[in-house]
Amino acid sequence: MGLSASPAAPGAAAAAAFTILSQLCGAAFLYVLLKADGSWQVMGLLALLGVGFFLLERFPGIGEFITASLTRVPLVTAATAAIIVLGFPFVVGSNTYILHLLIVAQLYAVLALALNFQLGSANIPNFATGASYGIGAYVSALLALNFGMSFWLTLPIAALAATLFGFIIGIPSMRTRDTYLALVTIAFGVVVQQLLNNFDWTGGPNGLVGIPAPSLFGHSFASPLQVFGWKLPSQANFYYLAAALVVVAVVTAQRLHGSRIGLAWNALRADEIAAKAQGINVAWYKVLAFAVDAFLAAFAGTIYAFYVSYISPDNFTFLVSVTIMTMVIVGGMDNIFGVIVGAFLLTILPEKLRAFSDYRLLFFGVVVIGFLMIRPQGLFPQRLRQYGVHR
Amino acid sequence: MSALLRVENVTMRFGGLVALNDVTFSVKKGSVLAVIGPNGAGKSTLFNVVTGVYKPTAGRMTFDGADITSKPSYEVVRRGIARTFQSSRLFSDLSVLDNVIIGMHTRTKTGVLDALFRPGASRREMAACVEKAEALLQAGSGDLYEQRNRPAGTLAQADRRRLEIARALASQPKLILLDEPSVGMDDKETDALVADIKRLRSGHPELSVILIEHDMRVVGAFPEHVMCIDYGSRIAEGSFETVRANPRVQEAYLGKAAAHA
Ligand SMILES: Nc1ncnc2c1ncn2[C@@H]1O[C@H](COP(=O)(O)OP(=O)(O)OP(=O)(O)O)[C@@H](O)[C@H]1O
Ligand SMILES: [Mg+2]
Repeated sequence: MGLSASPAAPGAAAAAAFTILSQLCGAAFLYVLLKADGSWQVMGLLALLGVGFFLLERFPGIGEFITASLTRVPLVTAATAAIIVLGFPFVVGSNTYILHLLIVAQLYAVLALALNFQLGSANIPNFATGASYGIGAYVSALLALNFGMSFWLTLPIAALAATLFGFIIGIPSMRTRDTYLALVTIAFGVVVQQLLNNFDWTGGPNGLVGIPAPSLFGHSFASPLQVFGWKLPSQANFYYLAAALVVVAVVTAQRLHGSRIGLAWNALRADEIAAKAQGINVAWYKVLAFAVDAFLAAFAGTIYAFYVSYISPDNFTFLVSVTIMTMVIVGGMDNIFGVIVGAFLLTILPEKLRAFSDYRLLFFGVVVIGFLMIRPQGLFPQRLRQYGVHR
Repeated sequence: MSALLRVENVTMRFGGLVALNDVTFSVKKGSVLAVIGPNGAGKSTLFNVVTGVYKPTAGRMTFDGADITSKPSYEVVRRGIARTFQSSRLFSDLSVLDNVIIGMHTRTKTGVLDALFRPGASRREMAACVEKAEALLQAGSGDLYEQRNRPAGTLAQADRRRLEIARALASQPKLILLDEPSVGMDDKETDALVADIKRLRSGHPELSVILIEHDMRVVGAFPEHVMCIDYGSRIAEGSFETVRANPRVQEAYLGKAAAHA
């Protein structure tokens, strides 16, 4: 490689090596973080992360180099990611607690990606994502319990029901904005939770119990997973299911982001009046963002219900919506990768901070604020679209 | 010759303030109308009413044979009216290229389901947009094309104005409304702007232009059809020569005292 090569344009071989290495490092960090216990270990890892992001902020060239490498060899990037995701449960082994954390983190990643369409792409506040998540969970659970419907059938039905809900909360967004709209969505979220609490047929505050585990080709998700002589705990079934959903969410996000729809959302985020003057039906695109958000959130809700087999209104409170929002903001608005990182970090962190017992929430708040101070635009900020890089 | 845009007795009130008072005019296909008038006369309001940002209090507007009174903005753009803003309103956190591509919104058609299930078609559409956008950026004066991957918010003032025009042209309009395009340009840049508009017209003989201008050199370059507005009312219309010589216009611009002095 000549000296003239700019740091942001690595050669294909170098890029591939770097891509594999950096992703393995990321996976190793996640593994160590999941395994860590005791306050010193956790603090040390957080400090390491803090330094990493500080360097990213100070030297933007590093970030450019990394993204340039990853996009230079997209196939290698995808293949490495796939191997890491598929192989992770084998490394984790029989530690069901870690698998559980990973499943929840992946479901939150989907929820954060769902909200990202609104908050990130279009800058529409929505505090009702938790409610859409709950509607997905309840609709599918009710269908399974009352009509014996299979998981796979309830999945699309629950998503459609939540999408309808999304359209309904979207309607006020045509008339109200910003703070007022945020209030409207809070109201919707609270109303949904209260209704779930008060109806008889939703089980009231006790919720729904005994949601049957899904099965695929005769394999029940409640039984351990056997692969090539390896025996993985039953949680691994749901781990892979959740991973598949993350893939669906990422592909959805990428396709919408790369199309004129993503551009229209970005346009109305930047300047609504100018967006109208470009012929964008702003009201429709806002409602659409609500619908897409609810659609994906319902998928996550369905998997959650069938995973824990017991749901109650407490799982879908206003606080859940706030958590999802924090994930998007900390991770990086309108950055698919950032949002996923935000979801993982904010799911795993509170668990790891149990070591601080009474000061857990305080410490959690300090960490979130700390990250936002180091990276004010989110851990991985929104990037300009690049066209024809490979031309 | 048939009129492309016909504005009939349009009045726009904001509470007690009459921003447009019974304004009537029309624009022929392929012609340029220059609109002049003192600050606060109602020129920008006229654009806002025509493009559906405001619903007129009274009056009627037709474009290309269809009634566009009270039609929403996106409908008006789809029918072929594009505009720029006086204080340029770019999508500042998006690239220059993306700004132009967004201008093609009404000429592209990928819906949610297409984007999700026919990614190839969606990608081809975007690729075609990129190509057209690059051509538009190369067409005007300045070096917008070289700056196409920068955030629009980082452009210099003159480039911002040029980008607004390129974005408006991206919708393949039949009528383009330019609100003081020369604001923030120096003499050289203004001359280049005039040349751009002239070149645009010779390339698209069907295209009509309404131009709001304070810079009389620009107005003088398009002298056939000039209209002067003062306090919301059309006070003069005709060639640049006759409008400029009109005592009411002079009064509006210089103030009553000066006109009588
Ligand atoms: N949305 C609005 N609400 C209330 N008053 C308005 C509104 N828009 C414009 N006006 C008023 O209408 C009048 C005309 O404004 P307009 O912006 O059309 O003037 P203009 O001719 O474009 O002036 P300038 O040359 O300074 O751009 C002004 O008095 C302005 O304050
Ligand atoms: Mg004006």
